[in-house]
Amino acid sequence: MDELLADFIAETREMLDASSGEIVAWEANPSDTERLDTIFRFVHTVKGNCGFFDFPRLEKLSHAAEDALSECRAGRRTPDSALVSAVLAIIDRISAMTDAIEAGEEFPEGGDEPLIAALNPQEPDEFVHRRADSEQEDTAASGAISVEIADTSDDTTKSSRANAVQRSIRLPVDLLDEVMKGVSDMVLARNDLARRLRDAGEQPTIDGPFERLSTILADVRSSITRMRMQRLEHLFSSLPRLVRDLSNELGKQVMVDFEGGEVELDREMIEMVRDPLTHIIRNAIDHGIESPGDRLHKGKREIGLMRFSARQAGNQISLVVTDDGRGLDIERIAAKAVSAGIHTKAEVDAMSDRRKQHLIFAPGLSTADQVSSVSGRGVGMDVVRANIEKVGGSIDLTSKPGQGTSFHIKLPLTLSIIAALTVGAGRQRYAIPRSYVEEIVFGSNANVDFAEAGERRLVTFRGKRVPCLSLGAILGIEDNADVIWEERTLVLIRLASDDVFALAVDRVYDHEDVVVKPIAPAVMETRLYAGTTLLDDGRPMMLLDMPSIAATHQLVSERGTTNVVEEEKVEHRRRTVPIMLFAGLDGRRRAARLDLVRRIDTISREAIDIEGNRAQAVIDGAIFSLVGLEFGELPQDRCRLLRLSDGESELVYAVSEVLDASEMEGDIVTVEGDPLIEGVTLIEGQTVPVIDGHALFARHRAPQRLDHPMSCRIPEASEWARTILGPLVEAAGYRIAGERDDSADVAIVFERHEETEQLPAARNVIRLRQEPEAGPEMPDTIYRYDRDSLLAALKQVRLGKMAGGKTA
Amino acid sequence: MNELLLMCMIAGRRAAIPASQVQSVIEIDEITPIPGTPGFVRGLTALRSQALTVIDCPVALGLESSGEVSDQRAAVVDVGGHLYALLVDEAYDVGEARSEATAVPGGFGSGWQHASLGMVETDGGPALVIDVVTLVAGPVAEAA
Repeated sequence: MDELLADFIAETREMLDASSGEIVAWEANPSDTERLDTIFRFVHTVKGNCGFFDFPRLEKLSHAAEDALSECRAGRRTPDSALVSAVLAIIDRISAMTDAIEAGEEFPEGGDEPLIAALNPQEPDEFVHRRADSEQEDTAASGAISVEIADTSDDTTKSSRANAVQRSIRLPVDLLDEVMKGVSDMVLARNDLARRLRDAGEQPTIDGPFERLSTILADVRSSITRMRMQRLEHLFSSLPRLVRDLSNELGKQVMVDFEGGEVELDREMIEMVRDPLTHIIRNAIDHGIESPGDRLHKGKREIGLMRFSARQAGNQISLVVTDDGRGLDIERIAAKAVSAGIHTKAEVDAMSDRRKQHLIFAPGLSTADQVSSVSGRGVGMDVVRANIEKVGGSIDLTSKPGQGTSFHIKLPLTLSIIAALTVGAGRQRYAIPRSYVEEIVFGSNANVDFAEAGERRLVTFRGKRVPCLSLGAILGIEDNADVIWEERTLVLIRLASDDVFALAVDRVYDHEDVVVKPIAPAVMETRLYAGTTLLDDGRPMMLLDMPSIAATHQLVSERGTTNVVEEEKVEHRRRTVPIMLFAGLDGRRRAARLDLVRRIDTISREAIDIEGNRAQAVIDGAIFSLVGLEFGELPQDRCRLLRLSDGESELVYAVSEVLDASEMEGDIVTVEGDPLIEGVTLIEGQTVPVIDGHALFARHRAPQRLDHPMSCRIPEASEWARTILGPLVEAAGYRIAGERDDSADVAIVFERHEETEQLPAARNVIRLRQEPEAGPEMPDTIYRYDRDSLLAALKQVRLGKMAGGKTA
Repeated sequence: MNELLLMCMIAGRRAAIPASQVQSVIEIDEITPIPGTPGFVRGLTALRSQALTVIDCPVALGLESSGEVSDQRAAVVDVGGHLYALLVDEAYDVGEARSEATAVPGGFGSGWQHASLGMVETDGGPALVIDVVTLVAGPVAEAA
């Protein structure tokens, strides 16, 4: 089709959508000149555009409507219901003609004149004349007035230009997709480059610009994504017309109220939710909102209200549609469900009110007593829900008898990007849409129980018994019989039908937002996959089609309900933290995060030195601060110690017994009073204090534990050095250098009057002198009983080493 | 008829793919298998940020698989909005057909017959013109 013509059609459509809402609002408030202007501009534009093309009928219609509207703008005519209906009829006709033009069809002849005549039943002829006269300004009725009108019209044009919020152009979606693809390519290339840069090590000259490139790319990516976005206003603007037509048809009065029209949504998504939304509106007006008489009788306002509010929260849009009608009649719905054979009486009786309300989403349930022209046409709320879930959204409802009903719809921000959980099976990764993922548990978890019923593997978790399938078996790459279930990770999947089953996967990787692309028909036929997406490294990954997999394995109960699901459940996905359970010296159970525990040591009592507040243990020639003594006495012979590490330093924690490695599933409840306890958690129903690694290391900051403790050479010949000096040096965190050490980090020597002996090989030397007073011939020496100075000197050496320098 | 054709070798036979349908010829690097798919679908490979469905042409023709495919060449075609990589033994130049596509008495063998548009004469000898749409649909006719 001619590009110009395509633009004409697109523009006409867009304006149609926008003005149908305006026209209803205008009817409600005829003095609202702004609305009138919008509608006027629409017909005016259509008329103007027709000048470029040969559409005489379109031009005639729009011209007629324009004339009638300009009468109103001039204040010479008050819009009444008849006029509004007539203008609407013309707009409808324009819309139908536009469709025909787009399809390249001939629009059936005739029928235009009555429409035009309906605009002004009193003096139809006058308009015909006027139409012939008008060239540019559309309102050449009679001299004096025409001037006045022309002025107004000019003003409007000016103000409309000034009000133009955004300049915009139309783009083909293909081109947008192309650009998006390009940006995705760039992101992949960037990831590749990032990996190579990481491998090559830090390169300050490259890392900076690379960071900048990454930031720019992220910005570009987000603005490209925004290009697909459209304000919800677009959708909202078409709703008042729908509400007006429906309420007229059903003899009701309904107002609409919008909030959050500025929220943006993927253009395609807007089209996808249009139908479900229409259905909800139909239901609300047909079943929900009472007739004006009923409403007055109930003490409500005569006019019903439908409220639409949209809000963006992170990657989601929530859309709430509320009516102030009579609310859902849950008893009637329940009765219907029983009579339709969806549930038994007993099942329904056992349901909570909330669950009964949700029955309206059950397939095959209609509460309409008779099929009206508006609702009850076989398309039920189950289809609405299915459609919303198809685009990755969800729908929920709340209803109060006599006060109204609210539908809460949640939608992902865009159609093409979905939140997914990536899992592994058979050395491949697969993505599962996050909306289906209920919870993730380890097969080894104590709360998980496996059982078999016939060929079916079942898993019991949190009191529910659900079928369990291995992803590998579903994909045909392993046999269910070979699966060691306890070693798998279970992903609990909840389907739209509320059916739950467990999917056993090799491992769970990550939560990711993935861009989903369609797959080839031959792959689609497997009924296993819903699409494909690319991993960060550019490799493709399949997106699993959970509903289809469930259907293939008969996991969906026929009536769309299930008896394994608990009601009103509030569950949070928990991340389990591995911990080690141990008994302190007082025999009480405590827990430490497993990350903190480097190893478990058993040493003899003699290797532990306690004096006053100082407690130390020597393990493999290294000295560690010892904690945990406040709880009780150390055993007489052998002591069990947990060696804790914060990554840099280490300390040991005295315990009486190491109990078990476990998983902390619940939260840690903080407690006050003991600063060395992070909090208390529940393990197998009992409270267990969890030790606070951070606080322990903060308090007992052990000397930095290097892989090889620093060595110190002391005069071997001297008994004083061996018995007095040696332990002091060790307590300071040094190892006494032996004969095999070629060179020590530090050597301690006795300063003698004459320098006869050769100095031992060492990077640092500390000289000790016999006398308390340093004589002039012995500078830089330390009195050998000056403990503080000696320790300070040793510390100085250690600090020098840690700083990386050799203080030779 | 002087339609441009991508000359290639499939299962040891000279074949030709209409060049207008070929977007590019790529070298297959790595294939992500898709469990559950019929044998002629080897898996997915990525071309820039697009995923291509890799078709094992011999299997699609009802012949023996081409086996190991690393570094093998593939012709990228678009069928119904989906991109496919058709694995070929060799891909030569683009050439012109010297004759109309014709049938030969007795056919070309069932697989070839199913997925080819006929035989054309080319500078390098006769070649079968591949019907890409039928090829990517797989040997369903026989299987069903």
